[in-house]
Amino acid sequence: MTGYVVRRLMWMPVVLFIVSFLTFAIARFGPGDPVAVAAGQIRDQEVLQRIREERGLDGPMVQQYLRWVNRAVRGDFGESFIQRGYSVRELLVPKMWISAQLNILSIVIVFAVGIPLGLMSAWFQGRWLDPFIISALLFLSSIPVLVVLPPLQWLLAIQFNLLPVGGWDGLFAIWWIGDVVAIPIPDPHLYLPLLVLTVPGFAGVARLVRVTALQVSTEDYVRTARSKGLPESAVALRHVLPNSLLPLVTVVGLSLADILSGAYFVETLLGIPGIGSFTFESVRSRDYDVILATTLIVGMFFIVMNLITDLAYARIDPRIRLGTGART
Amino acid sequence: MRRQNRLLAILLGVLAALVLIVGGLSAVLLLNGGPSGGGQQAGGGTSSSGALQLSGGDPITMDPHLAGDSGSAEYIVEVFSGLMTIDPKLNVVPDLAESYKVSEDGKTYTFTLRDNATFHNGRKVEAKDVKCSIERAASKKLGSSTASAYLNDILGATEVFRGTSEQMSGIDVVDRRTIKISIDAAKPYFLAKLSFPTAFVVDCDQVQANPKNWTRQPNGTGPYKLKEWRLGERIVLEANDKFYAGVPKLAQTVYSFSGGSAFTRFQNKELDVASISVNDIDAVRDRNNPLNKMYHVDGEFSISYIAFNTTVPPFDDVNVRRALGFAIDRAKITDVTFNRMLVPATGILPPEMPAFTPADKALPFNPAEAKKALAASKYAGKMPPIEFTEIGGGAEGRTDTQAFIEQWKQVLGIDVRIRQTDAATFYADTDAGKLQMFNAGWIMDYPDPENVLDLKFYSKSQLNDIRYSNPKVDLALEQARVERDPAKRIRLYQEVEAQVLSDAPWLPLYFAQSHTVVSAAVKGWFNPPMVIPRLRFVTVER
Repeated sequence: MTGYVVRRLMWMPVVLFIVSFLTFAIARFGPGDPVAVAAGQIRDQEVLQRIREERGLDGPMVQQYLRWVNRAVRGDFGESFIQRGYSVRELLVPKMWISAQLNILSIVIVFAVGIPLGLMSAWFQGRWLDPFIISALLFLSSIPVLVVLPPLQWLLAIQFNLLPVGGWDGLFAIWWIGDVVAIPIPDPHLYLPLLVLTVPGFAGVARLVRVTALQVSTEDYVRTARSKGLPESAVALRHVLPNSLLPLVTVVGLSLADILSGAYFVETLLGIPGIGSFTFESVRSRDYDVILATTLIVGMFFIVMNLITDLAYARIDPRIRLGTGART
Repeated sequence: MRRQNRLLAILLGVLAALVLIVGGLSAVLLLNGGPSGGGQQAGGGTSSSGALQLSGGDPITMDPHLAGDSGSAEYIVEVFSGLMTIDPKLNVVPDLAESYKVSEDGKTYTFTLRDNATFHNGRKVEAKDVKCSIERAASKKLGSSTASAYLNDILGATEVFRGTSEQMSGIDVVDRRTIKISIDAAKPYFLAKLSFPTAFVVDCDQVQANPKNWTRQPNGTGPYKLKEWRLGERIVLEANDKFYAGVPKLAQTVYSFSGGSAFTRFQNKELDVASISVNDIDAVRDRNNPLNKMYHVDGEFSISYIAFNTTVPPFDDVNVRRALGFAIDRAKITDVTFNRMLVPATGILPPEMPAFTPADKALPFNPAEAKKALAASKYAGKMPPIEFTEIGGGAEGRTDTQAFIEQWKQVLGIDVRIRQTDAATFYADTDAGKLQMFNAGWIMDYPDPENVLDLKFYSKSQLNDIRYSNPKVDLALEQARVERDPAKRIRLYQEVEAQVLSDAPWLPLYFAQSHTVVSAAVKGWFNPPMVIPRLRFVTVER
């Protein structure tokens, strides 16, 4: 087990090296550079060239990349061009925290709603409710966020004035009763992003749970339980349910890996100051150091979460042996 | 079976833990007056004590020597100051300097500093601070993109830009309160350039001690201190009780960055000043609306225009440029598309700029003239494909661009293709001279026609991105630079403007305007056409 973990972790620098080099190269393929963007209307070419030299943005690309690696391995991820005087780390952490709060909440909701819907679907197999639930969820998940968000904003925020058009104000708002009792309620800015982030995810979870539940219910031990004379509800709760949740571990793990990466379109369209909208802005202004740091942090988190998922899986399911290459 | 129950327990446990972590941390943040809740409380709590509440955004930088954008300058002009400033009537007046003398030949300026001028920490501002600040601004190491444009007149500046010298030969510390600055020619607009943040004074000791983070609590010389800056949340400025020109009456200004429409927050009394968007403009224009009395429209030193690259076909022919100019109806567009929130540009120089004249000098909408000009061009009947580039994220052009393209098609029968790019690509292509024609804008930084005419139309100017070259214009611009009779100088610039408009390398479109509502509690507020110090003239009476 320890050997397995060590071997997996040894691959990490290699993966990060490839990721960083590709990001570096792709970012620089875009026309223009952050020096010109930061200069705005006063773009004296001679001055810009001097600034490029000073900031290490001249010379061959490989040389620039090595310069960056040299700094990055010592923990210096550079300075943003769109927010001078702040290190990349100082800028990214608060924005990742906002995205993480939103993402964790939406993951919780996706599973809290998706699992019961999937089980219900399996329970009602062969009746109209099963295909109805699944096709309704599939319909909801097949509309791209980019298409559904503007009309929702228009309808809920502008026409009916129920929710704010966008923005972010933390997780809780205070609801005052008189001037005495303060009840924290979920902040109204949350509803719209959570709606578009969670609803499309229900289908995936529900379908997975439904399929495994149906599969499990034909297993020998379920038949044995039934033949022992256990009531149907006990069979469902104690034998079918736990076993049908097993494959979800992987799905949960993979979605946890996404916590730190923001939802680009949702955050940008709703003006949420998270890592998604910030990345979008960084790419537009060719803020090389920020783009690279974001990709690397997200990449690293992804690798670690994947490893944890695999380990958890092995721990829960004794049929899986890690590191021997043989999976049964 | 026990193992499976454990699995269920683990899953539920993970979910529960997530909920607890998020909830718990948020609760902690909330109780500690965290990001959002705290921000609003602080804003609301100060409203009764005569503080001004404005909306704002994070400045790109608080370093006056690096800032080139108006968003950053808005804060910088309140926290820092320089030898000269621009007063609300747009006169260039001494600020840190008490007085100045210009030599006979107009090339040497001798400034006497105010005796009571201090930094926020109480240290006296001396001549060496001015010298050190200007040399820092120009240094190669700092890499300021504005330094060259604002300081290049000073003798020895180029050596400092290139890093071959750290001292600027044109700056001479005479004694603690006297500093002499020598420039390369008698340029009447030099004083106006000194009012720009690039020439502001910083505390070199502080910068040296903390080169990376000093801007978070800058030790400036301006009327306000940066009391608090929370990234993405708010900036609080507090009156400097040692300010040399008298302690500002307004004790505090809170700029909050949180979302939501500024106009809604103004109506909610969360803001004292709000800009009006096109959605709300009809409401405040309605004379029966009580907000109408608080509504202000002011001009800005900013022009939008269509630019032609004068060296590529078909725009190397003046007749094609003029034909396109005669074919568009800007007045109609400002009415229909912008709901009169912009005004059609009458020329290149906006109102309040010296040398401005109210007459409409731009090419008028005249289809017959347009056809005549096109027929006279060498491209008549064999027009090469034309691509019109602008910054934008959509598949279709700006609304006004679409209207222009339609008019060119109807009046001249010319098909113009629209192309949208992001800003980075746009700048790269413009600078490389790759674009045929493009939508652009120019913001003037100080009230002198040189700031647009010389920078954009002088044939050897680095900022002449349309490759425009007219020897007559060049000559007049060179004369105007050193003309010491103000009336003659203005006449020269008016001639340049007329010649450029006739050559049509630009089709001026609109002058920008600011549309704001200002609460009745705020006295002395004004919306200048450019960023100048303003808070020291404002009071709040609640």
